[in-house]
Amino acid sequence: MEIEVKSKDENEIVFIVRDAEVPFINAIRRIAMMEVPKIAIEDVNIVQNDSAMFNEVLAHRLGLTPLISNLDGIEGMEMANECDCEEYCPKCSVSFTLSKTGPGIIYSKDLVSTDSTIKPVYDTIPLLKLKEDQNIELEVVAKIGLGKDHAKWIPTTVCAYKQYPKITFNEDAEVNYELADVCPRNILKSDKRSKKLKVQNIEDCSMCKACVRADENDYINIGFEEKNFIFRIETDGSLPPEEVLSKACDVLSDKADKFITFSKN
Amino acid sequence: MIPIRCISCGKPVSAYFDEYNSRLADGEDSKAILDDMGLKRYCCRRMLITHVETWE
Repeated sequence: MEIEVKSKDENEIVFIVRDAEVPFINAIRRIAMMEVPKIAIEDVNIVQNDSAMFNEVLAHRLGLTPLISNLDGIEGMEMANECDCEEYCPKCSVSFTLSKTGPGIIYSKDLVSTDSTIKPVYDTIPLLKLKEDQNIELEVVAKIGLGKDHAKWIPTTVCAYKQYPKITFNEDAEVNYELADVCPRNILKSDKRSKKLKVQNIEDCSMCKACVRADENDYINIGFEEKNFIFRIETDGSLPPEEVLSKACDVLSDKADKFITFSKN
Repeated sequence: MIPIRCISCGKPVSAYFDEYNSRLADGEDSKAILDDMGLKRYCCRRMLITHVETWE
């Protein structure tokens, strides 16, 4: 198996995996979404809420606010249900306070954290509005969890793969230059000098087959390479995409280890 | 209030809401702002384009 990174930035990584199997790639994808731990607000204790927003709506908005949960932040912290404390303790949770008086919009930056490394990823998320003389006072507890329990613990936004596209031409058939204009992603380019259609940026091909449908004499054929994949992981900013990938691989190998120890006994 | 995340993909689009509105008020083109902010999927773009603020 070979891996080639195509592009990488703060929130997104695109890479090509060659010579791999669908079940393996799909296992990585599912674990990256559902079983990579991150931190999110779980409990909200509302002391005072004078705003027009209902408590449960506000609690839901707070839960979906992404919090920084990279390795420096949550290393050594326990999963909430595995911790031996009764409700929550500093070992498995981080608490925030929010206390404001209107008028104005309350943003995610107004949440005051007890842990300097864990805070909202974005400062500019509007949480609620307060009018003159309205107060909001609450305490929230963020816990580590898994995406399979609630969407707020899913670290990825887009986490998907596709098989590598393969475009072939039937040399015996007549060249149809109009296909270049049919392609919505401009993959095909007509080259009248060499009497061929040229393929450019094949990785952008969505395999929509618009060209095949417009083609009457079977000149073009769209397929895919069975064992090569283009994998894209985009995160919500709570942890870097490489960390999501490496953690997903750790989880997968832990699962495999369980099978190994099971079969040995 | 605008939803915190894009309803379809989960990207935290609300973080861009104020910037989008202020730049739109400055007369900038909606497409140019969205491209510049890195909202490339149409699910995220519609969250900002179609949002109607009913809470005054």
